[in-house]
Amino acid sequence: MAMQQHTNEIHLEAQGAVTILDIRGDITAFSESALGDAYRKASEQGAGKLLLKIEKEAYINSGGIAVLIQILAQTRRKDQRVAITGISEHFKKIFNMVGITKFADVFESTELAVQALT
Amino acid sequence: MSAASCYLFRNLPDEKMGALHAVSHLQTIPKEQWLFHKGERAEYIYLVEEGAIELVMPVEPDIEIPVALIRPGNGCVGVGALLEPYTYSLSARCKEDTRLTVIARADIYALFESDPEFGSTVMTNLAQRLLERLRETREEVKIHFMNLIQSATFS
Repeated sequence: MAMQQHTNEIHLEAQGAVTILDIRGDITAFSESALGDAYRKASEQGAGKLLLKIEKEAYINSGGIAVLIQILAQTRRKDQRVAITGISEHFKKIFNMVGITKFADVFESTELAVQALT
Repeated sequence: MSAASCYLFRNLPDEKMGALHAVSHLQTIPKEQWLFHKGERAEYIYLVEEGAIELVMPVEPDIEIPVALIRPGNGCVGVGALLEPYTYSLSARCKEDTRLTVIARADIYALFESDPEFGSTVMTNLAQRLLERLRETREEVKIHFMNLIQSATFS
């Protein structure tokens, strides 16, 4: 079940000036630690442009949305630019509703997101 | 039947799984159809065999909170059928065409009565899962609270 405690697998990858956080697994409140660690690591490496690449089949519940907002609040304070990719139309609507899209643009593909950030 | 991989029926021996299998049936529900709505009387537990069920908390007519996506082998929906007041605490919608194993509350309670050890194992498994959900909810409240503090501090 998505609510079962789990850890996400997150890989950092650089594409030019963009640091991609490749996030595997459902995003829930239990993702705070893994996502926070990956974000800190990227920031320590000087990342100014971030792409949150969410696995296509992943589910994001209300706890996961709170974690994403937490990360986006930090990126705003550090003047980092952020984009998101991999989410369905369903989650695009939810991201619009909760205001995530005010802080991060959503793209259909990694290529389009990297292009827009570069 | 996916009951063997469902947390509710963990640690049950084969003969008890057989008894459960005897009272269950299969049902197919098309994509986007609601399985049940929050507040309805909970008469059935559902195990996902194929497809996926999304659990949501309705807030307003156009607003719902995403809670979980139940896929084959990772759980069941409708456990409100096991506990008073026997109502569903969330709404459940099929994200895809979904094949389910359905177990009626009356049938599972009849098994509990004829075999208290079966009932004890299932309810212990349920309690463990509800505790896990409570932990997750507390984590979520903590994150929302921190977000509120941060937004108050930096706005």
